This record gives sequence, C-alpha cells and structure tokens, in this order.
Amino acid sequence: MESKSRILLIDDEEVVIDSCSQILAGGPYEIASASDGTAGLRLVEEFHPDLVFVDLKMPGISGFEVIEKIRVLDPTVVMVVITGFATVSSAVEAMKKGAYDFLPKPFMPEEFRLITHRSLEKRKLTLETIALRRDKEMLREHFAHIVSHELKAPLGAVQQNLFALEFELSDSLTEAQMEIMQRLKARIEDMLKLINSWLRMIAVDMDKLKDGFAPISIALPLSKARESLETLAAKKNIEPIVSIPEAPCLVNGDEISLSEVFVNLLGNAIKYSREGGRVTLEAEGGGDEVVISIKDNGIGIPPEDLPHIFDGFYRGKEAQTAAEGLGIGLAVCRQIIEAHNGSIAVESELGKGSTFVIRLPAVKPGANRIADPEAAGMAIS
Amino acid sequence: MTARIMMIDDDPDFVAGIRAILEKAGYNVDAAYNPKEGFQALQSGIYDLLLLDIMMGRGAEGIALARKIRKDPKLRAMPVLIITGIREQIAFLFPGQAVHPNFVDVDELVEKPVEPNLLLEKVSALLKASEEKKPQPQ
Repeated sequence: MESKSRILLIDDEEVVIDSCSQILAGGPYEIASASDGTAGLRLVEEFHPDLVFVDLKMPGISGFEVIEKIRVLDPTVVMVVITGFATVSSAVEAMKKGAYDFLPKPFMPEEFRLITHRSLEKRKLTLETIALRRDKEMLREHFAHIVSHELKAPLGAVQQNLFALEFELSDSLTEAQMEIMQRLKARIEDMLKLINSWLRMIAVDMDKLKDGFAPISIALPLSKARESLETLAAKKNIEPIVSIPEAPCLVNGDEISLSEVFVNLLGNAIKYSREGGRVTLEAEGGGDEVVISIKDNGIGIPPEDLPHIFDGFYRGKEAQTAAEGLGIGLAVCRQIIEAHNGSIAVESELGKGSTFVIRLPAVKPGANRIADPEAAGMAIS
Repeated sequence: MTARIMMIDDDPDFVAGIRAILEKAGYNVDAAYNPKEGFQALQSGIYDLLLLDIMMGRGAEGIALARKIRKDPKLRAMPVLIITGIREQIAFLFPGQAVHPNFVDVDELVEKPVEPNLLLEKVSALLKASEEKKPQPQ
C-alpha cells in the first residue's frame, strides 16, 4: 500500500490555497499550506513534502528565495511555481533555480491535477534513482566480498583437492582418467579466472584513487612495469626497447595504478607478440601532455573488435585462443587513465601489431609541492 | 628427519587438499581451523613450518596471528608460508610482483589454489632457508 503523497501549498492568497486544496480533495494526498515563505520553509522541514507549489509574488521573502532554500534543504523535493501571466519570464527564471515546472494563473482544475500528477511522478523517479544509485554502490561494496567468499573460496578448495587427487593418484591413473582430470582442472581454472576478473573490476574505486593523487614522474611506473615483465619478456625472447626522456615528465596521479596500466599494456604487447618480436615503450613530455606509447609487431586486433576492447568483459576472437584476460584488463586501464583525466587509444592492424597511446595532463616542474589534489588539478588545467 | 608442518586455515576442505599433497611428499601435517587453536598448538614448539591463511573468521585474522608470532621469541624464527585467496581482493596490488609481506623473519606467499609442485618447492625452500638461519642445529 502506497503512502499518501505530501503536497505543500505556499501562497499568500487564501483563495488559491482553498481552491487548490479542493481540487485535490479526495485524492491520495496529504495537504499542508502556508501563507508566506517563512512559514512555508518551516513546513518543508516539519511536513517533509514530496511536492511544493510556490507563489512567486508574496509579501516577505520571495518565491525565488523559497525555491533556493528548499533546494538546499532537500534537493529531491519537486517544486512548481504558480505565477501570473505577466511574469512568465520570472517563472523561467525560477525553473533555472530548480523549479520543475510552472503553472500560470488563472488555471483550470484539470491543469492543476495534471501538473500535480506529473510532478509527483517526477518525485517518484528522483527517489527511485537515488535508491538505485545507493543500491549500486552497496552492491559494488558487497559484491567483492560475496564473490570471494561464496564463489571463489569453495572453487579454490575444489581445485586444491583435484590437485591433491591427481598428485596422489599420478602413478595409477590411466591416460583417459588423466585426461578427465585435466579437463576438470581446466574448467575450474577458467571459472576462478573469471571470478578474479570480476573482483578486479569491482575493486577499482576511482574516487578513492583520486584522493591519493600526487605529482609523480612517469618514469617510475614505466620502469616498474618493465621490471615486473622481465621474466615474461625473456621467455618470449623479447627485449623491449624503452625510451623515456631524461627530464622528469610529471603527472598528477597514483603510482601504483599507473604501474598497473603499464604492466597491463606492456604485458599484452609481449603476450600477443611472436617469439623474438619487437616491443617498444616510449614516453614523451615537454608540452601540456605526457604521451606514452606502447607498440608491438604482434598478432594485432581485428577491426571488428577494436571499438569494444576498452568496454570490459570483452575479449577478441584472436585473443581468446592466444592468451588470457585481455578483456577486463583494458577496461580497468581505461578507468584508471580516465580517473587521471587522460585518454587511451589504440591503433592496430591484424597480423602486423598494435599501438596503444596514453595521454596524461602534464604537471609543470615546480608545481610538484602541491599536496591538495584539487589544487593540483587546477594548476594543470 | 621428517619436517612437521602446522596449517591454520578455516576451510577444512582446502586443508585436506593441501595436507594430502604434503603427506604424500612425506611431511607430517597437523591442522587447526581457527587462529586461536592454531596459536595454542604452535606453543608446543614442535613445528618447523607454518602454513597460514589470511582471511579467517571476521576478516584478516591471519595477519593478526602473524604479528603475534613475530613478537613471540620462541616462534619468530619459524618460517611461514602464507596461502591466501586475498590477493585479488586488494585493489591495485601490484600485478606480477612477488609479494613478500615480511610478517615474520622468513615468509612467502602463494595464492589459493596452489599447484602441488609450487607448494612443495616453496615448502622445501622455506624449510631450507630457516635451517640455514639457525646458528646450530638443535
């Protein structure tokens, strides 16, 4: 059962309040009224209206002021301005200040009913949107926990016991039984990987990330990425060609997450290269931007996959057979780079290789003592 | 001499999967399913290595236990292999980088589930490292 919608009428003309109340009488409404702005504002706090009708021309504080104050008190309250014909322009002004609609005087009962209905619908949608946003945030927070506890842990235990079984029975299993064992392990491993990707996607809280931004030299995360991929590169007989300027290229950002981006992109460049392929990692600064490009002459990305590769939960057909985990990785890269007010783009030709280019706003040397990320953001804009 | 290993993990099924591998390889394995019992069992001083889970009970109770061990003069030299599924949950944990939390003097970290060969390799390496650290065998 839905509760009654609360409507507040603020108008100095008693006749308007009376007639409006009469029009709505018998409907699913609870109605309160005030004859001036001050009393009206008090009622907003006590009565908690869903919808407020405000007359623009009243003695005491004006309708405009009432609208502005209600907006501060509770921005979800829907406000409709009642105004004379002569002041349509001021009604428009009121809408700019946050009123949802306006009703010119004189009006027919049917007009008033209609606008009431529409406004309450608006209020309902506003509240629903807020609830959905809150749910989404809660879901995000709890999802990682639920997924890791209820899905990942049991699957991990199953896999561990498969490992144990295979290890114990390694001398006595037939070839066909070994084959079954391999399939079991492979399927569970796929599921675990998927779960890990979800967790990774969920764990990126960009707002928290921005809180920790500080001016750093781009060389730091770049060399970290290079170091952590040394083994993988050596395995494929690839020696990445690195070119980073001597002068520090400063960006305002988070070193760990930028490292993650470069590990991801450089890792992909190596993974999707052939044995002994050529991978280059370049950074350029000096201007308003720091530009980092990561280039390989590997398998490339089919044109039909290119528009989607930063979307998340997407992995190109070529990549599916070549190696693991491209889909989420690039989506996370994009999220991280966008949180840094930067951009990421890709050019690729199937069979010839890919180039990923990241552009980040540069911080001028000397601005590196700025601790406040907001101030730093202003300094570089 | 057969090494004695203590495993503390709140998932008995997971413990079974680790224990079977270690026992087949000739180790003696005891298990406790919560940090409190585990710490009590460790007090006996007979264990050469601890396998420790991180997420137990209400949160990262394994970390609290590792800190307790580090402060305990009798136990602090005992090597610890952390076996955990936590890594993926930590945002921005450096990918591809070896994780050495250094909760105690000698420790290592592997992610759940652990391949038998990797498990045995880490266990034997930790046992060896702690043996070398001892001034003289007891």
